[in-house]
Amino acid sequence: MNQIKIKTVLLVFSFLFSGLTFAQQTISGSVTDESGLPLPGATVAVEGTSTGTTTDFDGNYSIEASDGQTLVISYVGYSTVSVAVASGADYSVSLKPDQLLEEVVVTALGIERNSKALGYSVTQVGGEEVNEIKSTNAINALQGKIAGVQITGNATGAKGSSRVIIRGNSSLSGNNMPLYVIDGIPIDNTNLGSAGVWGGADAGDGISALNPDEVLSISVLKGGAAAALYGSRASNGVILITTKSGKGTEGIQVEVNSSVQFDDIRNDPFDPQRTYGQGRDYSKTSDNADTYANWGPELDGTSVEQWDGRGRPYTDKGNNMDKFYQTGTTLINTAAISSASENANVRLSFSNLQNEDIIPNSKLNRNSFGLNTSQTFGNFTASVNMKYIHDSSIGSPRLSDSPGNANFGIRLFAPSIDVNDMLGEGGLGTNSDGSEFRTSDNTFSQNPWFAAYQYIDNSEKGRVIGSAALRWDITDFLYAKGRFGIDRYDFNRTSATPYGTAYQPLGSMNENKLTRQQRDLDVLIGTDNLKFADDFSLSAFVGINQNYVSSESVSASGGNFIVPFLYNVKNTQNQNANYGFSERQINSVYGSAEVSFMDAAYLTFTARNDWFSTLSLPGKEAANNDLYTSASLSLVLSDLVTLPEVVSFAKLRAGYSQVAGGADNPYTLNLTYGIFGQGHQGASLGRISNGSIPNPNITPFIKTETELGFDLRMFDNKFSADFTYYDNETDGDIVGVSASATSGYGSALANLGVITNKGIELLLNANVLEKDDLSIDVTFNYSNNISEIVSTNDANGNITLQEPRSRNLNVTHIVGEQFGALYGTSYVRDAQGRIVHDIEADGTPIPQVGPRKILGFGVAPTSIGFGSNIRYKDFTLSFLIEGKNGGQMFSGTNALMKYFGAHKATIDADGRQNGFTVSGVDANGSAFTTNIAPNRIEDYWRRTYQIAEEAIYDNDYLRLRQISLGYTLPSELLDGTFISSARLSLIGRNLFLLSNGVENVDPESAYNVSNSQGLEWFGMPVPRSVGLNVNLKF
Amino acid sequence: MKKIFYLVFALAFVFTSCEFDEGFAEMNVNPTKAAAIDVNNKFASVFLETSGGRYENWRASLIYSSMIIQHMSSTATYWTGNFYTLNQGYSTSLFDRAYPSQVKQIEDIIYQLTEEGNSGTAMGVARIWRAFIYHRLTDLHGDIPYSEAGKGYIEGILKPAYDPQQDIYNDMLAEIEAGIGQLGSDTLGSSDLIYQGDIDKWRKFGYSLMLRLAMRLTEADAATAQSYAQKAISGGTMASNSDIAFLQHTLGPEGINKNGHGEVFTADGNMRMSKTFIDFLKGGNDPRLTIMAVRRSDKSNAPADIIGMPNGLTTGALEAKYGTTSGDYAEPNRAVFGGEDTPMVFQTYAEVEFLKAEAAIRGWHSGDAATHYNNGVKAAMQMLSMLYPNAASISDAQVSDYLAAMPFDPSIGMEMIHTQYWAATFLNEYEAFANWRRTGIPSLQPFGGEAVYPGNETNGEIPRRMIWPFSEESTNAENYKAAISRQGPNTLTTRVWWDK
Repeated sequence: MNQIKIKTVLLVFSFLFSGLTFAQQTISGSVTDESGLPLPGATVAVEGTSTGTTTDFDGNYSIEASDGQTLVISYVGYSTVSVAVASGADYSVSLKPDQLLEEVVVTALGIERNSKALGYSVTQVGGEEVNEIKSTNAINALQGKIAGVQITGNATGAKGSSRVIIRGNSSLSGNNMPLYVIDGIPIDNTNLGSAGVWGGADAGDGISALNPDEVLSISVLKGGAAAALYGSRASNGVILITTKSGKGTEGIQVEVNSSVQFDDIRNDPFDPQRTYGQGRDYSKTSDNADTYANWGPELDGTSVEQWDGRGRPYTDKGNNMDKFYQTGTTLINTAAISSASENANVRLSFSNLQNEDIIPNSKLNRNSFGLNTSQTFGNFTASVNMKYIHDSSIGSPRLSDSPGNANFGIRLFAPSIDVNDMLGEGGLGTNSDGSEFRTSDNTFSQNPWFAAYQYIDNSEKGRVIGSAALRWDITDFLYAKGRFGIDRYDFNRTSATPYGTAYQPLGSMNENKLTRQQRDLDVLIGTDNLKFADDFSLSAFVGINQNYVSSESVSASGGNFIVPFLYNVKNTQNQNANYGFSERQINSVYGSAEVSFMDAAYLTFTARNDWFSTLSLPGKEAANNDLYTSASLSLVLSDLVTLPEVVSFAKLRAGYSQVAGGADNPYTLNLTYGIFGQGHQGASLGRISNGSIPNPNITPFIKTETELGFDLRMFDNKFSADFTYYDNETDGDIVGVSASATSGYGSALANLGVITNKGIELLLNANVLEKDDLSIDVTFNYSNNISEIVSTNDANGNITLQEPRSRNLNVTHIVGEQFGALYGTSYVRDAQGRIVHDIEADGTPIPQVGPRKILGFGVAPTSIGFGSNIRYKDFTLSFLIEGKNGGQMFSGTNALMKYFGAHKATIDADGRQNGFTVSGVDANGSAFTTNIAPNRIEDYWRRTYQIAEEAIYDNDYLRLRQISLGYTLPSELLDGTFISSARLSLIGRNLFLLSNGVENVDPESAYNVSNSQGLEWFGMPVPRSVGLNVNLKF
Repeated sequence: MKKIFYLVFALAFVFTSCEFDEGFAEMNVNPTKAAAIDVNNKFASVFLETSGGRYENWRASLIYSSMIIQHMSSTATYWTGNFYTLNQGYSTSLFDRAYPSQVKQIEDIIYQLTEEGNSGTAMGVARIWRAFIYHRLTDLHGDIPYSEAGKGYIEGILKPAYDPQQDIYNDMLAEIEAGIGQLGSDTLGSSDLIYQGDIDKWRKFGYSLMLRLAMRLTEADAATAQSYAQKAISGGTMASNSDIAFLQHTLGPEGINKNGHGEVFTADGNMRMSKTFIDFLKGGNDPRLTIMAVRRSDKSNAPADIIGMPNGLTTGALEAKYGTTSGDYAEPNRAVFGGEDTPMVFQTYAEVEFLKAEAAIRGWHSGDAATHYNNGVKAAMQMLSMLYPNAASISDAQVSDYLAAMPFDPSIGMEMIHTQYWAATFLNEYEAFANWRRTGIPSLQPFGGEAVYPGNETNGEIPRRMIWPFSEESTNAENYKAAISRQGPNTLTTRVWWDK
């Protein structure tokens, strides 16, 4: 139990029992942990009275009690111990850590419950999981640690967003990411910009603002039964994050944490051919302006005129990746001061994060302030949480399509091309006049230095996340709670295509200001552990919630700079301004009732009704609200029946739930018109604003989930297994029914989508060895989720999502298939599976482009994690191996490497000089094996670029996700110093890939976090990180 | 305990008696958008949308049409029209862009006018313009969604059927006729970006467009062609260069204000004048030569320096065969055509005269073919300085000299007329491509007579159409398949109905 609650209970008791007296004596004792270290702040209470105290800095306490009474000694994370007051009794106790049996988990609405009461699966991880091995986006540190939670890494740089999916994708085209709740406040996780088919940069998401040093614990509510109380926003699960508070601090404690991490690309799988130089038609002189063309003859050291007219030796100039990317650094320093007294606690923290990415000129500086306070007076407890986070970012790397994407050329330049020759007279990719130093005759093939250094993409984000809450304990069993929370940020972004850019000589720029806010107001009244019959008790509450979200944006943009290199919208010939506003609100009534029997069987019901502004319209007849319910059951078998001795704990759980969701977007019910542009020769311009056909009758979808599971612990809790099976179905998903573009619209909104997910989650923990000096724990988790698109629309046609730049494939939802098929052009094959070719006049076979087919699925169904924690004396070593299996990726990098001859697959084992051998059948079905002449090999491979199938890879992988070696300084070393504890850790992330199904790029290289997973197109290399973390407490 | 239950019941009562959606209906009305707007605002945008953006003007117009028609050439292999290779997105670019903008907009305009009971000038202009929009699409692709297109909201049609091109042509001709009949004395005001409120010119444009569409059918349906051609000519077509249908672009402030071709000239330096076209201009000592073309490398417009680039050759092949590089060849004179504020031409008086000359040859029109031809040549030469301020003007004397040197010869009348038509439709590439397919004039050799480009998609033949987007295969499968079974495979070589 947590201390606040105990204190509250004690206070309530003091009301009820004031006046009663016992013959009392003063008892003194101490509380330590297993290893004898004092536990300051442990709670010592006299059972059945209002008397209570906490241990001091050295774990000592004294309390008034009478013989026959019982002391109850508890501490967060440890088993509670009772000691009868009797003469001669030993009041010094040693507490054992909870073997998860009495684990308190944070559940919906921040309510802490004993995990054994839960009829659904909740995974809680301690803050150390994100504190020690840090990722710029803290949530990435959970990758591979929680069964059923798939965190997909991507290739958008250190400042990028994360795609987090719990128990499969449950909406065909809506949001599939969970709701994040930090200290009770739902936060906005909008991705503020991402790359698409035509390029772009990842401008980050909301959760990336979380300071990893401040996390106390993370609780993942995976299923509907767990999340139903958060309403429609929680239809994809909830991740509850509790940050550190001053609770339990003795006196004043100062904590300092410093970490440094270095990122490099030494383990990048890029492995191009290095034998043939720049050129076309197997000739080095032909087309020297096409620096990507790897179709020249074998490198021979002779001098050859290059793209800039200069002669250079025709040799392998070395890996351009190493020359271009730098060692990235991340410094995170956090200092916190906290203090607690009997009735109050406070923690104030400051943190600074500085990141320099591996790509030049991309930086992030983040300052975070946090204040957590809580004060109890009488039966009221007030708490205030405030966070202010300021991000200042320079140069978000562009991804996907070429202009502005520095990653593009680096992976395509022929081996005879040296990126260091491209700095230009003006430096950093420019001519002496500051314009782009062109390295190709194609204006869209950009000088990578120019792309990295001259493009501008700077942003600032100031964000306040705060809440004020008041709890009133009306009687000993009845309480009321009110909370107001806000998450608001102001985001300013300046981006520019510079003056002198080859493809846009006069340049252009954008200024954007965005303000988003989300407000939540909750009022609830409830009872805890109200005994209403023998062995039966009730915990229940009812409440109301109001959630309001608004977004307001102002932007100014300009094209064609007048004064070169002066970045001011006023300094452009063509200016434009835009204003956007949207708001929505959900009002809800909800309630929950948990009935427990003998503290061993628990039955919980919840219900919630949401009213959606997004489904309201004057005169609308169809419902704008939805009621949904859940029920869950937990049976602690080990408390109810006699089990074999080896079983220390056994629990069965079952849950059934409904959650509404999906009605996120305002203004989709009716057709509207807008005035756009600035007119033309005195005429104003207007048109329909909707790209999707509006539908006034849409309702939220309902996601129904059933889950069954068990929790088994054996051999004195040394071994535990947690297994869950779930099955969910989303009905009436709001889908953009795919309309032919000839209808004038891309889609029509309708409640027609149905998708199911079935899966299992398994978590095994074993304490293999436990000795004084040495302990070894191993953990293994496995999850497998199979999705099926049951229905897309009235005709069950395909729902088409994004496409890569080659435009020969779309991520597509196809009825009967898994979520997000990679549906693209294929090879034409005969009955025996041989590839059908057209034969050119000179005999060169060119593969035919076949129809679109399902070539794979972008979401891997299976994830595993295997880790171990080894403690030897004061050292701890932990590692995590993580992997995914069963998914595919369309790799644009590989497609273009083949197109340009940079890929090793474009070379026969005996080189190109003897041609390139192709076997297959011709259009008449006759088999052939042909040796394509060296100067025609490129024609063969250029055609394969149109065939998406050629660029599909299984992106199965297994990697050493993280490893850390920590050393905690023995307390005796610190005796007499002002330091109370010190810990040093060496850490590593993404150290290496144990297996990788993809060539040349990291298997997790998506360029955005949208529902269109499995698309790769010249993203950032995925770096490995090594670093050092120091934690000191004073 | 009782008190507590009373309290809970009281709370429950409060909850249920609350209106939990108070103010929601008002909140969900978008404060930044309108439920309806004046139809004139829609007209101004539909004209600009029809002129088009850089996207489709780069791809369907220049990369494909201008190369196929050998107005231009390029060594860059992404200029796929020069190599008869297929880039799906390029080939479908007009289709992809037109339906969600021009088509959606014009159908919405007609819906609004119908709802408002308007049967006057606005409706007339809308019906003529609608035909203009669709005729480009059907000329490029053949069968297209027409009668059901653009009605996703109006009629809830998500998968429009493809209409046979013959039906489309019959309907467009009827619609133009009906539209002309509705033109009254009122105007579109400042929204008339084509004729600035001159309804008389709209009437002439209506008949001129009718003539263009009618003549398109000479091979497929001569009777309809003749009947509408005669109707058009007697109705009154464009009579001078001041009747040209064009939209004057401006340098901005936004993309939509700019000429899409001009934006391509800004972004892309790889287009050259085709040898076929330059040789034609040189052959007749055409005064347009030095206005339209300059050498890429030094911008010289001395006739000796203006050399057209052979079609269908890559940089390497060009160098191997001719020992030249791309800079040695002529490019479109950027000083004349390269601006983003140049006009976008939809139909010219010169074209109308040439079509009348053909009608005269066919005996459908009593006028004199030679006179119409001469008028057409003169108009085509003299419109340059009118449309493009930086173009030197061509004097009457220069025109006379030109015509005197190569007088109209009825024995090769069609060839002369349509070669001039081809020259007059430079930068009106959709029309040049369509007219060439109908007439086969000028007689173009695949790749301009150069070697067949290896890896071409057409078996070495000049493309005859643009493909339908493959996305239709999934979003409009049944109708797409029906169209293929009616028209033929979705390739660059399948001929459209009127292309016999």
